[in-house]
Amino acid sequence: MRPRPPEPPTRTWFMRTTAYRLFMIREFTSVFLAGYLIFLLVLLARVGEGPQPFESLLVTLRSPISIILHVLVLLAALYHAVTWFNLTPRIMPVRLGEERLPDAVVAIAAGYLPWIVVSLAIGWAVLG
Amino acid sequence: MSASNGAAAQTTEESLEARMADKTITLEVFRYDPAAGGDPTFQRYDVPYRSDWVVLDALNWIKDTTDGSLTFRWSCRMGVCGSCGMMVNGLPKLTCSTFLKDYYPDPLRIEPLANFPVQRDLVIEFDGFVEKLKSIKPWLIRNDQRDPADGELRQTPKQLAQYKQYTMCINCMLCYSACPEYAFIPGFIGPAAIALAQRYNLDSRDQGQAERRKLLGVQEAVWECTFVGECSAVCPKHVDPAAAIQQAKVTSTIDWYKRFLMPWGKK
Amino acid sequence: MKQSNEAFWWSLFSAGGVAAALFLPAIVVLTGFVLPFAEGDTATRHEQLRELIGWWPVRVLLMLVISLSFFHCAHRMRHLLMDFGVRSTPLLLAVVFYAGAITGTVATVVVISRL
Repeated sequence: MRPRPPEPPTRTWFMRTTAYRLFMIREFTSVFLAGYLIFLLVLLARVGEGPQPFESLLVTLRSPISIILHVLVLLAALYHAVTWFNLTPRIMPVRLGEERLPDAVVAIAAGYLPWIVVSLAIGWAVLG
Repeated sequence: MSASNGAAAQTTEESLEARMADKTITLEVFRYDPAAGGDPTFQRYDVPYRSDWVVLDALNWIKDTTDGSLTFRWSCRMGVCGSCGMMVNGLPKLTCSTFLKDYYPDPLRIEPLANFPVQRDLVIEFDGFVEKLKSIKPWLIRNDQRDPADGELRQTPKQLAQYKQYTMCINCMLCYSACPEYAFIPGFIGPAAIALAQRYNLDSRDQGQAERRKLLGVQEAVWECTFVGECSAVCPKHVDPAAAIQQAKVTSTIDWYKRFLMPWGKK
Repeated sequence: MKQSNEAFWWSLFSAGGVAAALFLPAIVVLTGFVLPFAEGDTATRHEQLRELIGWWPVRVLLMLVISLSFFHCAHRMRHLLMDFGVRSTPLLLAVVFYAGAITGTVATVVVISRL
């Protein structure tokens, strides 16, 4: 009378609960980000080639396909950033004596505030 | 309150009781008989619905009145012993703290904890889990030869706070049932065992960190985890084993770089 | 007891995760929605951009952000495939994705040093 072995995971195990689905979306953001990184390299190379290639690049960037892709990549980047900052306090909890600093405080201090500062700095450097 | 009002309230309460007695809720329960072998079946039981009943109450009602052959583990009925964990509608739950009223009038599907071998009906085998707990040396390791006569090892509240959260685990194994990585890799030592390792690693009285950190640095320890986080979400004691694993990854990574940059350092 | 080298890749994944979270959203907004529709003379804007990217601290920062983000993505995509059930060739999977990230890093250094 041997015990019945556990069921192996199905191919679609992650569709079983919302939490699993959100996890897979979090991991899937990497696919969009990887694609964008390659595109960013092409873009940088174009800027280096001179004003004419840059001009034609801007025309490409105004196309509907570019805008749709950028919207998707932006959503992926935002979802990655928010999930990343929210998980940080659990990986690096901060203790003051016996008390643990609330996760929200750590997330803001170590994630959201630096995020705002960096984003503003990038905007200022490019447009200012 | 006047007497007539009191009587009226009592009547309403009685009729409520009477109406509730008619109400039933359906449990579809996983049945597996190791002697018969074959595939498990689901058996339907109609159980009287009480708003203050938990799933375990319903299972005990079935066993007492309808079907004495239904097999399941339970003991304390108050979320302390950790033995009544089962899958309720696909999610790992302590059945002593899972209320019927949160599902009524829909039927409930009760299965044994996922990712474990099934002995019979809702009873799982957890020998592997106990081995994993033992493998991380869950006791205070001391390098000195202390005698109980030397007195107790003292600890400040601040030192206690470092690891207290990880002492709350009741070994209910819900975290293993929630973990998709454990489903893929049964050798993964898993959430509760790693949280227990951290419980001792962060204890100021313990001197076994070096040993235990080596145990945690192997592939089947912390590195099978991808921080799905469901182990912590289902934990009835808020141990947050997922955080314990990530923190162990950080120390493990520091150890890796130390070994890489200073291979002459002590092993 | 064999210690896993996953620690090394995980450290790059983590550093890249921080870099991607802090830098990428703003950069995506710039390339997707701000630069293409900004008012003003394109030639001047191009000159400003070249000047900015020509400054060495910006170059170093760009290289770090892009290459670490490549390692972040490689690590996640590798585990994503494993979560989709691709479990028979773990070593091949690791080699393919981290080799991809290394290639991405080389490309980043080449592109940015040529600017």
